Amino acid sequence: MTASAGWTIHSIQPILRSLLALALAALALAPLLSANVYVQTLGVSACLFATMAMAFNLVYGYTGLLCFAQVAFLGIGGYTAAILVTRLGWSFWVAAPVGGLLAAIAGLVVAFSSLRLSRHSFGIATLAAALLCTIVARDWVSLTRGSMGIPGLPAPEIHLGSLDIVINNPYRFYGLSLIFAVGAIAFLHRIIHSRIGRIFVSIRENEPLAISQGIDPLRYKLLSVGLSAFVTGLCGALMVFNLTIVDPSILDFYYTETMLIMVVIGGPGHFWSVLVSSLVFSILPELLRFSTDLRLVLYGLLLIAAMLVFPKGIAGLLEKRGTDFWHKRLAAGRGQVS
Amino acid sequence: MKRNLRLNGALAAAGLCLMTAGAIAQQSGPIKIAATLPLSGGAANFGQAARNGADMALAEVNGAGGVLSRQVMMDVQDNRCNPTEAVKVVTQMLSDGGYSALFDGLCSSVVLASMPVVDRAQIPYMVATASATAISEKSGVGGSKWTFKFNPTDASMAAAMVSWLTEKGLADKIAFLGEDTDFGRSGGDGFKAALKARGKALLSEDYYQQGTADFSATLTKYRTSRPGVVGIYALASDQQNIVNQMQAFGVKVPLSGRVQTDSIAKELLESGFLDGTSAVQPYSPEIDTPKNQAFVAAFKAKYGSAPNSISYSAYESMRTLLDAIQRAGSTEPEKIRTALTQAKFPTLLGGEVSFDEYNLAHTFAVIFQIEGGKAKVVGLSKT
Amino acid sequence: MDAEFALQLLVNGLTIGLIYALVASGLSLVFGILNIVNFAHGEFYMLGAMLAYFVAGTLGMSYWVTVVVVVLAAGAIGALLYDILLQRFEGSNVERGVLATLGLSMVLQNGAIFLFSTTPRLTRTEYSFKIWEFAGVTLPLTRLFAAVLSVIAFALTWWALQATQTGRAIRGVSQNREAALMVGIDPKRVSRIAVAAGIAFAGLAGAALAPVYSVHPTMGFAFVFKAFAIVIIGGLGNFQGAALAALLVGMVESFVGALASLVIADAITFATMLLVLLMRPEGLFGRGVRL
Repeated sequence: MTASAGWTIHSIQPILRSLLALALAALALAPLLSANVYVQTLGVSACLFATMAMAFNLVYGYTGLLCFAQVAFLGIGGYTAAILVTRLGWSFWVAAPVGGLLAAIAGLVVAFSSLRLSRHSFGIATLAAALLCTIVARDWVSLTRGSMGIPGLPAPEIHLGSLDIVINNPYRFYGLSLIFAVGAIAFLHRIIHSRIGRIFVSIRENEPLAISQGIDPLRYKLLSVGLSAFVTGLCGALMVFNLTIVDPSILDFYYTETMLIMVVIGGPGHFWSVLVSSLVFSILPELLRFSTDLRLVLYGLLLIAAMLVFPKGIAGLLEKRGTDFWHKRLAAGRGQVS
Repeated sequence: MKRNLRLNGALAAAGLCLMTAGAIAQQSGPIKIAATLPLSGGAANFGQAARNGADMALAEVNGAGGVLSRQVMMDVQDNRCNPTEAVKVVTQMLSDGGYSALFDGLCSSVVLASMPVVDRAQIPYMVATASATAISEKSGVGGSKWTFKFNPTDASMAAAMVSWLTEKGLADKIAFLGEDTDFGRSGGDGFKAALKARGKALLSEDYYQQGTADFSATLTKYRTSRPGVVGIYALASDQQNIVNQMQAFGVKVPLSGRVQTDSIAKELLESGFLDGTSAVQPYSPEIDTPKNQAFVAAFKAKYGSAPNSISYSAYESMRTLLDAIQRAGSTEPEKIRTALTQAKFPTLLGGEVSFDEYNLAHTFAVIFQIEGGKAKVVGLSKT
Repeated sequence: MDAEFALQLLVNGLTIGLIYALVASGLSLVFGILNIVNFAHGEFYMLGAMLAYFVAGTLGMSYWVTVVVVVLAAGAIGALLYDILLQRFEGSNVERGVLATLGLSMVLQNGAIFLFSTTPRLTRTEYSFKIWEFAGVTLPLTRLFAAVLSVIAFALTWWALQATQTGRAIRGVSQNREAALMVGIDPKRVSRIAVAAGIAFAGLAGAALAPVYSVHPTMGFAFVFKAFAIVIIGGLGNFQGAALAALLVGMVESFVGALASLVIADAITFATMLLVLLMRPEGLFGRGVRL
């Protein structure tokens, strides 16, 4: 019965997917065709948030690890890139990946030490790591300049033969963010739909079973955290160079809450629905001109509602609707035959 | 790839053309000034004070026919005293276009973070109240030709303060307590430099996070180190907390630095607990010039209380900016900037506002002292 | 360091530690009973302080009336919280409880910001600016009362847990839910009372600290993370462990804060939390002294 229900769902899925891909492409192109700086700025933030949400989805949705350190990875990436560029005069193009790498290393250290114990302690350890990062950013003044932040970050430059481009306006930064987001999300898509991705899910679903099949869950959990941290760290570097400043507010819990809501409402462990929900949640509140506090009140209500009514997100809800529908039809059909 | 980027360039150029067209369309209608101030958080009351001062300047000028026969309006956005928030807000406002100048930011770290944005957008920036020394060091010939600073620097105010303290024989055991921002750090550096010039040093130097709840550890330390004076650089809300806890832990030491005498709890001020406290500010409503007294009376009539130094600086710097736009004869940024460099705006306290090669106006430093439960002006000097 | 200085630091550490203990043990109580990490716990501390600000400051009630009003209100809110929200997550996986209470925290904190703005406010009571001096140690009355209230709350709870039917039932449920069910304890009633008590503790801490520090909507958020650290150090679900760890953290803050800096004290707290989590996940005081 699942086979025939699956068959019908799969038969409409390609059409839905291509429609979705078309809509996404149109959405991505809009800021490039618009002369409106506001639209472009919104585009940059949508690209970065979508990538962050997908990276969080990898670790929470697919691997089942509730990681509170995503915001720390964002901060480590941003601060590392900013410090390397302003203090050591490194190029942005080298400093940003190093920021991502450092975020990944930090993620591996926290995950390695806590995951040996339990998933439970992983959540708390990642939370503590995020708090420690805030303390470093705020109080290690000789390194991070504390609450003064590091302002005036230079615009990234591209020199390709005779071509010199300074990425110093929202239009160009949108171009850069779009290339990055498409690349990073495509990369995550590859991972998720590879053997590795299936192992992530098998660990989330049934760890003892995965072990019995000769999988070392710790190794794959670490891989998931490391990849997610790397991508998030890169987002951090892009984010601070877009703003031209980094200060401890990059470690604000607000980012954690936003990533959470995007993934939880979209449906943890689902690809396209989380992508759509991340775009909806980065664009819609801006267009509706919600103030930050009202937005977060709404997010909080949504989070509670989701936990009460649809813990698997919109995707889970749709899937259930779909299977329920086909179950009923099949049952009815069977009834007629017999 | 290459072609794509070229195409992007072409599109960007087209976008720019559209934006300029928009700017030309805005030649009539009101002149718009963008502003960011802390309207929430620990610095909110300072932000409101600055807004009141600037609003009053606008109301006066608009009442007298406006600038270039156009009304002037100010759009204020909240920066929460946070540099990143300020950069977001300023970038947003300046890219929307239609603004002739940017006004203030209040918090020094906010201003320092806004300066690169202003330089990119090429729009005059009037810094009314922020005091960090680095702002003017990085302006004019120091870097940002668009940034103009009205308030004296922390270095010059600290110099005036330390010189007064030395005269009174109080400069030997100064403990410094400042917020960990460009404002607090700049105050600490100012005190250290002024003391060093006299062969002295600070007894101790502590910085805290804005909004710190508990100062008992630092204050308990003071009970043993027994400083003669505590120099504080704090927001009004934090200062209130510090002073209340000093009283609570029996640390009776006169304060100095950028003390806001008007935001000390009345019971405490009148109890004489803070007698001997001195303060340096750019202004006092008590300064007895006819123009200042008229300003104080008008301000009281409008807002119900006397202006503090923040309202004053916001008022006077906004007047200076509007005067420059009038003299420029247009809202073109470069013309306003040139007019600002040539400013000679008569101030309420006497003398004129004019900017040096670092775009810094050398306005006044006023020294206060609390005696018998009351704050009195004991010194006035040009910085 | 002279004796007087040390004594003053000791007293400072003790008072602040006792307040931490109130918040942390409330958190621990809820966890022990429901197995839910209450992310919104700090917001109830904030709401308690806000309510105290309005009752004492705006309505002009006396200090003690304010404390009673806030504690009763917080207890009632706690019971409601259990009935409306928490009971639905009893026994479900940890993540759901965490996310639901995080959502609640977002609603309460940002709702408060929306209504009252983030501007800090100072609560005036008849004891503001009054001081108690003893053997060279100076203590503001508001702090002294905060410490005393905390001690009273602990003493009452201790007595209730040992000597009353309900108290013994709470201990029973938190030790072994199934066994408690079998001996005829109504788990819903017991859980409701435990959550009400936990939230009342947070409210009491808020009311006690409102006249000491300034009150603002984000105060709970910083506080709850410290409470997490304390609960981890003391051992999850371990009521006494949390109280002991809280006193320890208060002391560290007082001494390290005075001799080095407050920042280092904070870093020590969170680093200790990480270390305890990794080396001794059952907490410094183990499970031996559980409830």
